Amino acid sequence: MKLPVEWLKKHNKKVTDVHNLIHKLTLAGIECELIDHNKQQVIDFSLTPNRADCFSLKGILQEIAAIDNKNFKGLRNQTSKIHHNQSLPIAIESTQDCPVFVTRVIKDFDNKVSSPMWLKDRLELSGFKSVNLVVDIANYVMLETGQPLHTYDLDSINSKIIVRRAKNKESIKILDGSSKVLNKNFLVIADKDKTLGIAGIMGSEASGISETTTSILLESAYFNFEIIMGKSRLLNLYSEASLRFERGVDPNIQSHAVERFTELLNQEAGGNNGPIKQALSNKDKPKNKFIFLRKNHIRKTLGITIPNKSIVNILKRLNMELQEKDFGYEGWSVKAPSYRFDLQDECDLIEEIARIYGYEKIPESTEKQNINLQLTSLRVEKKNKISNLLCSFGYSEVVNYSFVSPAMNLLSKKSYSDALDIQNPLSIDMSVMRNSLWPGLITNLSHNLKRQQNDIRLFEIGKVFSSHKKIPDEKLVISGLVYGNRHSEQWGEETRSLDFYDVKGHLEDMFNQFQIIGNISFKKVKHSMLCPGKSASIRLKNKTIGFVGELNPEISNELKLDSNPVMFELDYDALKMNQQINYYPSKYFPYSRRDLSILMDIDVEVKSIIKMIDALKIKDLSNIIIFDVYMDDKISSDKKSVALGLIFQSKSRTLKDDEIDKYMIRINQLILKEMNLIIR
Amino acid sequence: MTDRLSDLSKQALEDIRNTSTLEALDSVRVQYLGKKGSVSTQLKKLSDLDPSDRPRIGKEVNKLKKLVEHEIANKKNSLNDEKIKSNIEDSSLDVTMPGRRTVIGNKHPVSSTLNEIEKIFLNAGFLVEDGPEIEDEYHNFTALNIPENHPARAMHDTFYFNAQYLLRTHTSPIQIRSMEKYGVPIRVIAPGKVYRRDSDITHTPMFHQIEGLVIDKDINFTHLKGILHDFINTFFEDDMKLRFRPSYFPFTEPSAEVDLLSKDNQWLEILGCGMVHPKVLTNLGIDNEIFNGYAFGMGVERLAMLKYGINDIRLFYENDLNFLNQFK
Repeated sequence: MKLPVEWLKKHNKKVTDVHNLIHKLTLAGIECELIDHNKQQVIDFSLTPNRADCFSLKGILQEIAAIDNKNFKGLRNQTSKIHHNQSLPIAIESTQDCPVFVTRVIKDFDNKVSSPMWLKDRLELSGFKSVNLVVDIANYVMLETGQPLHTYDLDSINSKIIVRRAKNKESIKILDGSSKVLNKNFLVIADKDKTLGIAGIMGSEASGISETTTSILLESAYFNFEIIMGKSRLLNLYSEASLRFERGVDPNIQSHAVERFTELLNQEAGGNNGPIKQALSNKDKPKNKFIFLRKNHIRKTLGITIPNKSIVNILKRLNMELQEKDFGYEGWSVKAPSYRFDLQDECDLIEEIARIYGYEKIPESTEKQNINLQLTSLRVEKKNKISNLLCSFGYSEVVNYSFVSPAMNLLSKKSYSDALDIQNPLSIDMSVMRNSLWPGLITNLSHNLKRQQNDIRLFEIGKVFSSHKKIPDEKLVISGLVYGNRHSEQWGEETRSLDFYDVKGHLEDMFNQFQIIGNISFKKVKHSMLCPGKSASIRLKNKTIGFVGELNPEISNELKLDSNPVMFELDYDALKMNQQINYYPSKYFPYSRRDLSILMDIDVEVKSIIKMIDALKIKDLSNIIIFDVYMDDKISSDKKSVALGLIFQSKSRTLKDDEIDKYMIRINQLILKEMNLIIR
Repeated sequence: MTDRLSDLSKQALEDIRNTSTLEALDSVRVQYLGKKGSVSTQLKKLSDLDPSDRPRIGKEVNKLKKLVEHEIANKKNSLNDEKIKSNIEDSSLDVTMPGRRTVIGNKHPVSSTLNEIEKIFLNAGFLVEDGPEIEDEYHNFTALNIPENHPARAMHDTFYFNAQYLLRTHTSPIQIRSMEKYGVPIRVIAPGKVYRRDSDITHTPMFHQIEGLVIDKDINFTHLKGILHDFINTFFEDDMKLRFRPSYFPFTEPSAEVDLLSKDNQWLEILGCGMVHPKVLTNLGIDNEIFNGYAFGMGVERLAMLKYGINDIRLFYENDLNFLNQFK
């Protein structure tokens, strides 16, 4: 809400220093700033939804008076002359939704008169467009009093006014020309045969005033905020009226607003006034109840003792009604004024006291804390451990949006059935929750290549999303991407591109640090985003916990990449912080090494041989190193030669040569006879 | 015989003296002490001598052998020393040439800022908790005293999946989840991503918040002011001026926004906080006459921007390495 400073000054002569006023209001919880509009000072208020009462000039003046500890007498109240007796009968079908409905018929005003400059100026500075005299005055009175008004062309109304719930699928063409379909949760204003408007939100096109209108029916109502709340959002139809009604309008100012409108219209364009006709259901009018306010509770919440006199003074400044009573606690019984819908509980009153007393006057202190020894959060430690490892491997961390375009999501999964779509996305590019972090990393790669970065290693820790039977699901993963050279160009050493085995090595180092390397295996798989021959699933025991591989060359080509980045994605939960270290005392005994070179078919996985050797369960065979793999066309084009280093070491003694010889015989037999391989 | 030995001795010592390399010295050693060397030969000849002469001559030959061995050892030591010395003299590097470096990556500034904030609160005895990014209406709104249709929901422009599920608009639902999980008393912070349907130079549709919650006996507003001021001073490593001003959050009462006085004397909004609304506690079955507490929530990007002087929040999500590599 905006208000010109000049308007405020007209009603409060004490407002001389605008900056001080803004400071005071801000520190009392009415956030506002001074803006300049064509060299005129305007205050722009950012009102919180609880302060409906401040949604007008009157509300702000009232608030200033309370802060300044001054009396606010209210705005001038004038009663207009009555020229005729015409009025329309009002039938309110649901008085709970509409306890107060006030109307007046004003006839034969001069419709040629346009709004005077002062009116146009104030409205413009307050952010309203001038439309015509009648609409301008209605808006002006709303700004001044906080009461939204609505004007109907009198001739468009058939015999009576009915306030009722809308019928299901009832349709209405409203002032802005659009059609809205309502249901029984909406309140409408109708006449004998048609709908005149959606209560509290907007009137119908047919009943609106036009250039030829000379007689109007003025409506000033109090609608229960519960019947208005959320309706603008449902219809995507926001109006200044609905904004106020859904927060709550003072149920005691409807007639005053009618009189003020009449006064201004008569003053500018004459007109003959009918009597005020109102439908009032007192029992349905919201009434604030007395709330018990305990002195010790003020102290308990705020941590300070405010003198009783000050508390009483503050409550009175805010127009609260109070009785000093003893309800077992020393305190007061307090009733908030009718325009304060937000003061329902003791804590609300305590906030009122604190904000007028001044938050800045409340000191700072340190809690008395029970000493509570605890392990530093493993959650934090784990993330740090993973990030530190990846950083030490040269990866830099990125953070991408959790939503991507549908095309991006399809990159990583061919099926769309479990995609999680956002109902109301900002744009199509951010309309689906990501099901992998890879598309984000690839986008980051392209961005940085364009900026002449050549060797790129990125990682991200974030959630991926899916939907199973319409239930959304999320999972935290770690993803990485490498592209370019193993190290930056340097003298004396030739560089080479990072490849699958570099990334696999990073992963293995990480698994080793998390002490799960012994249960990890890699298995060749096909993955739509990866190059079929160069991709693997990562398995922990028998569970797939991630994937690693080269980006599918078709995608690389589309992205105009010179080579294929290698990427991995891994379940975050697969890594666990080890709280227990399995220590065993160890003694040193020398090891012996025997080398073995095996010729095998090119597509046999080396792992299968290691597995077979492991299956021999030679307990003194402590490690097997693969120290060379080479292919030589001179031998055979479909064979490869694999060189193994077998490390024998006992935990309890020094092994003798003939023991190792016996082991080697078993291994040789296995390879020669059972596996039919050649030892070279 | 004695003369021959004396000549041999002279000759051997001279030969040893004249060697200049370890290799040459070894040849000399073989020449005299090897199986067929001249000294060894003399030893073998002992059996040819008159038995009465043998002890005396034998003694002299052995003396000669020891002398040669000793001299060779000495010479070997000195040649070794010379070799090391000359190695040292000959070896020299261009120390100005660049070293062989590896690549070390960096953490994202949002992550490191989060981590710094976590560390500060961990030191103050807070637990660190997280929660789902896809929330239900209940935890994101209703449990926080924001009923359906409440105008406060308009303060959060929410991304929805359907009527029930949405992207959390704040980290405050973790307050509820933590109390459901641990009960009270509790001291917890909850970092994480949050989402709002908003995008411009100061807003991104996704950003990070850290929520804080303390529920205990005898917690009051002065404690809230105290801990937040301590936190801000620690985070910015300076004495910062703060201003608490009344505001509105449905789940705290009294509520406050906290402004920080910037170097150019501007008040900048940095966080929201307040005393936990009794209704939030009652909804969870906690007796609000015994327990009360405070909660706060802050934008991580905003704090990082202030700390590092970044002026466009979108830079955090561009992931440009030139930007990221500045935060080491």
